[in-house]
Amino acid sequence: MSIIETSHLYHRFADGTQGLDDVTLTFNEGEFTVVAGANGSGKTTLLRHINGLLFSESGTVTVCGKSVKADPFAARKQVGMVFQDADSQIVGETVYDDVAFGPENLSLERQQINQRVNQALAAVDLSGFENKMPHHLSGGEKRRLAIAGVLAMAPRVLMMDEPFSNLDYPATCRVLSTIIDLHKNGHTIIITTHDLEKVIAHAQRLVVMAKGRIVKDGMPAEVIGGIERYGIRSPCSVQLGRGIRPWVN
Amino acid sequence: MGELTAIGFRPGQSVLHRLDPRTKQMLLMGLSVASMWGNLTFLTLFTVVMMFCVSAAGLRIRRLILEIRYFLFFLCFVFGVRAIAFTGGWTPTLRADAAGEALIVCWRLLLVVIMGLLLMSTTRTADIRAALVWYLKPIPVVDEKMAATMVGLVVRFLPVILFQGAEIADAQRARGIERRRNPLIRLMRFTVPLFRRVFLSADELAAAMQARCYSEQRTLPELSFAWRDGLAIGVGILLSSTVLLP
Repeated sequence: MSIIETSHLYHRFADGTQGLDDVTLTFNEGEFTVVAGANGSGKTTLLRHINGLLFSESGTVTVCGKSVKADPFAARKQVGMVFQDADSQIVGETVYDDVAFGPENLSLERQQINQRVNQALAAVDLSGFENKMPHHLSGGEKRRLAIAGVLAMAPRVLMMDEPFSNLDYPATCRVLSTIIDLHKNGHTIIITTHDLEKVIAHAQRLVVMAKGRIVKDGMPAEVIGGIERYGIRSPCSVQLGRGIRPWVN
Repeated sequence: MGELTAIGFRPGQSVLHRLDPRTKQMLLMGLSVASMWGNLTFLTLFTVVMMFCVSAAGLRIRRLILEIRYFLFFLCFVFGVRAIAFTGGWTPTLRADAAGEALIVCWRLLLVVIMGLLLMSTTRTADIRAALVWYLKPIPVVDEKMAATMVGLVVRFLPVILFQGAEIADAQRARGIERRRNPLIRLMRFTVPLFRRVFLSADELAAAMQARCYSEQRTLPELSFAWRDGLAIGVGILLSSTVLLP
């Protein structure tokens, strides 16, 4: 069942750059999709359209059958977005405050907010961090806090913009295992990245973007061949002829 | 960056932690006003109460002094300006009567600042914000929720801006900015990238808040007055009334 649909989406930035060029895509419920592309290929712009942070000059975006342009609030409730820079996403003074920010915006009862905060922190393995200040957390913990902040809003889809950027190996492993667990628990996952190495083995679908267009779309094993021509590095295992292998065990 | 925010909220179960944030803000405002007329008796009693509160809140005096060191320099400056006079040319002389008055002024300012730090270290910013909404609500021209959100964001982002500033300064030192003698050029080289980063961060923050359905109709922290709030206000009134003593 499709949950997000974009149809003939175009976006041009103020400086004349074509951000999106005739993007038509369908994301199905429960699917784990990786959107790959070089810098400036339009990945983040696409996510912002789906989240109702940008609106198209032509074309449509629908989430759960509703137009994002007509009701961006409803789209944001269904589709949670984790930004590339966790520091600019974290708005709370403590971990609890930050995770509670989303549910508070939904005007939930305090008891329900507390319940959601506890569940979200447990899901990203940050229970016990409630009173810590976010800027005292490590890079990986901040990224997981950003995911918890979105999870607390109980979205059906989780979109993450370059979730592994600036993370060291252990932090990348923790964030990756959190994402895999969330997918196992039934979340639809959309990840944008230019580095396929870490995540591609767990994805069910790979969409490749270049210059604002969708240039390839399909099962990772089918799409990955010759991907370097779009400015994306092939995973080492593929380069060694061993096919797609998981980055972590 | 931690150093910049050492006097932030510290979780705890002290009397001050359990007071309603509205009570704490009321006491802060009331005692600050009272201290403007505070005499030696008031200031002595106030100091004793503050020392008790600092100890109850679990703040270490040494750490507190370290945190307000720049403010202490400012107080020394205030004392100097008020107490030292230049008579007979360029010779500075300390006037005893003016020194007494200057000491009282500095004492008052110091107590008010300590009160503010106590409020910050024993109250979550979300609670301070909720109390602010409660106080601003009766004022018709002020959008209390917007004002409270702005206060919350300033508290949250001040350390980030200071951190970014320190990072830019370090990066420029690494490329030999000290060799530039013109302070105006140095200032421009520092402020332009800092402002650019701050504006970009602000833009990103606005998008992140929108993505998480930010609205003004939000659930605020639940605030409730208890018997201890009445007791604290009573102590505050008693303390304030000592300004009437000779």
